[in-house]
Amino acid sequence: MDTIPHDAPIMAGSGLTARIRTLPRPDKALLNLLFGAALLALVLGLADGLLTALARAGALTFFPDDAYRLLTVHGVSVFFYWLYLIQAALLLALAAAENSRGLALRPAAWAGAALMLAGFAVSEWISYTGTPLLYDGSPELAVDDPRSVGFFALGYLLLSAGLTASAVSGIATLLQPRRRGEAEEFGAVGFALFAWAGFLIVSAIAATNAFLPGLLWSLGAGPFPADHGTEWHILFHNLHYLPLMATVLVWYVLTRHLTGVTSIHGARLSKIVFAAYLVFVPPTSLYHMFLEPNLSEGVRVVGSLLSLFVSVPTLAAFAIIVSSLEASARAHGATGVFGWIRGLPWGNPAMANMGWAVVNMMVGLTFAFVLIQGELAPMLSDTFFVPGYFHLFAVGVLTQTFLAALMVLLPALNGGHLWRPALLARMPALVTAGLLLFAAAGIAAGTMGVPRRVFDVGYGGMAPAAWPVLMALVGIGASLFAAALSVSVYGVVRTLLSGRKLSAMELPAVDWKAGQNRIGAAPAWTGPASIAALVAAMYVFTIAAFQLIQSLPVAVIGGGHGH
Amino acid sequence: MPDPRHFTTRRGFIAGLGFGAVSLYGAWAAYGAAPLPFGHTPSATPEPEAHGHGGSNGDSHGGHAAAAAPTADDFRLEHETFLRTYAQTDGSVDPHAASHGGARSHGHAHGASQGAPHGGHADEGHDDDGSATEPVTVFLMAQKFAYSPDLLRLKAGQAYRFRMMADDITHGASIQLGAASRIIRLRPNIISEQTITFTKPGEYLVYCTVYCGQAHDAMQGRIIIV
Ligand code: HEM
Ligand SMILES: [Cu+2]
Repeated sequence: MDTIPHDAPIMAGSGLTARIRTLPRPDKALLNLLFGAALLALVLGLADGLLTALARAGALTFFPDDAYRLLTVHGVSVFFYWLYLIQAALLLALAAAENSRGLALRPAAWAGAALMLAGFAVSEWISYTGTPLLYDGSPELAVDDPRSVGFFALGYLLLSAGLTASAVSGIATLLQPRRRGEAEEFGAVGFALFAWAGFLIVSAIAATNAFLPGLLWSLGAGPFPADHGTEWHILFHNLHYLPLMATVLVWYVLTRHLTGVTSIHGARLSKIVFAAYLVFVPPTSLYHMFLEPNLSEGVRVVGSLLSLFVSVPTLAAFAIIVSSLEASARAHGATGVFGWIRGLPWGNPAMANMGWAVVNMMVGLTFAFVLIQGELAPMLSDTFFVPGYFHLFAVGVLTQTFLAALMVLLPALNGGHLWRPALLARMPALVTAGLLLFAAAGIAAGTMGVPRRVFDVGYGGMAPAAWPVLMALVGIGASLFAAALSVSVYGVVRTLLSGRKLSAMELPAVDWKAGQNRIGAAPAWTGPASIAALVAAMYVFTIAAFQLIQSLPVAVIGGGHGH
Repeated sequence: MPDPRHFTTRRGFIAGLGFGAVSLYGAWAAYGAAPLPFGHTPSATPEPEAHGHGGSNGDSHGGHAAAAAPTADDFRLEHETFLRTYAQTDGSVDPHAASHGGARSHGHAHGASQGAPHGGHADEGHDDDGSATEPVTVFLMAQKFAYSPDLLRLKAGQAYRFRMMADDITHGASIQLGAASRIIRLRPNIISEQTITFTKPGEYLVYCTVYCGQAHDAMQGRIIIV
């Protein structure tokens, strides 16, 4: 029999919500604006994502340009505006809560919001009306339409400028207590916020580097940006890991809020892990380029090897959080191998979203690691394998985690309570089920060669018969997770809009905080067992992929090296 | 002070877990896709640098404009010659058909480019013993929204040196091989080269895997292997 700690539910982590509740009014207004804009981007992106998925499933038919416009709007809305507006908003909210006096450099924060919103408007407008450039805005797709290239670049440049201004305000806010002599050094969360803000600024510079040439060319003030591909790769790799770093940070904050547990391994290890993102992410970027014709075999091998390290900070953070939770639960009397997990406050939608996000991360990582092997790239890159697996991250991990944060922060910000928490707490399991179907069918389809970014994969009857069947399953999975995610988003939007009209209501939480002397005596196997399972799954799918590529009726020498 | 903690809750163990996924290296090494510490060379595939480019032919024909590396314009010329030399009446291109093409194609082959001598070898590959070891050169150009040639007739068991380039913007070329496909990205004006041997006869779809504009979905070709 498993025993689960049954401490009386309490207002755990009231620290965070209390500090958000007492933020100055202008800061609250700014945060509401940014959260609202981020949610608008998510809503637009979800709608277009669903249309895209239905079109790819063969259930809807569009003229090619319209289909690619939908895909452009989808990528631009969710990958850029949802993920970066929400990151700016969370950075400012959490920094202000750390500081407990609200934002420093408030004008920079407002200017940042104004710039990002202007970028949002420009990007959406040109994506709906211009030549479809997809979210990477490659100028070579519109050599005869500089106007589209220019406005597209302008949108991202405004976003980057706004992000920089927001991050500067965030950094100033984090440094303020130290400058005033009120604090000695950063806690783990303060340090992580600081590193994240710095990384945001670096990425904004990389984005400027990638998109300014396009704007200048469109104005007749510069040469055609033939290098866009390379500049984009540098930016793009960072763009994956910023939101992941933000996610891990939100897990720290929410774990403390929902269970009272902070790392049992000390703040220093957590700080090292957050700093590790800056160390491990940049050198691991080569795997996006495995199909590039001018990449030599040696670079491909080294690139693969370096990529093996890309998950180090994320898995370390996972291990810290899970072992801290498990050890704390055991210190409070939990027994059984995995029984302690049931003691987590699953009735709280924030907990449910975060918990299922972790499941999605494990599945997503498995397939990410199939993709980072250079010799498998000729079979998998540029196929539907890629969107098939990365929605586990984009939707399952990132979006669900950020929604979890909103479910905690919005009621604190505006004094209302979360819309129908019992219903919202059920959605993450459904989202995950839909995503798993989408991913399984999409990964299978991609492995069989279904390309990404192609709406009609019939090829005049030449395509394998399994392709449309798998893509239909992709459409069904997408419909399921889109529906469940829409309920979550609706709940969060309702909470944002309802403001003070609803009376506060406490959601389930636990308090597993335990004294250092009680902690860690019992073994905590959940973390190591999960990582062992992850590695085993990686082995299985990597070996399956190698077997498949070797079974193809073709022998190929040379990875496509040229000049 | 002895650490009262179980090892699974100690800091060093937790930090080590972060490196868990690095152990996938074992699977890669088993498939020769990662170098082993003691001098085992990675992968069964030789360095692409190891096989010569058209450029080495350029050298042997001293005085030709193309020095060590063929340029994109050399490629365009050679590709043109390849098409002219081996075009069949049904619109397909068959590098083994040169001997039936008569003096016209031979004249061009020698007059215009260094690509054609490879084609010349194809005739030797025509021998009935079918054990040709010399790869036959084949050209593939990608442009909006088609491949040129878009129908290639090749032989099973024969190695082909595919020389590929995108003419205008980035494209891809994916060969559908049944259970999976084999993809290459083609960048404009960058010549890519792979030596490919098809082991089974059949009709294989070739399709574009990099979004290249309105008719991207329709961009396809075929390789018929006999
Ligand atoms: C209702 C939810 C969603 C659905 C049904 C959906 C569906 C899809 C589909 C089917 C594609 C592949 C299109 C193709 O390659 O042909 C796609 C692409 C993409 N999705 Fe989603 N998606 C959803 C939500 C999201 C979210 C929340 C994010 C990010 C936070 C995201 C990020 C992306 C990105 C970056 C692409 C690649 C776009 C491109 O290749 O240009 N999606 N989505
Ligand atoms: Cu194309």
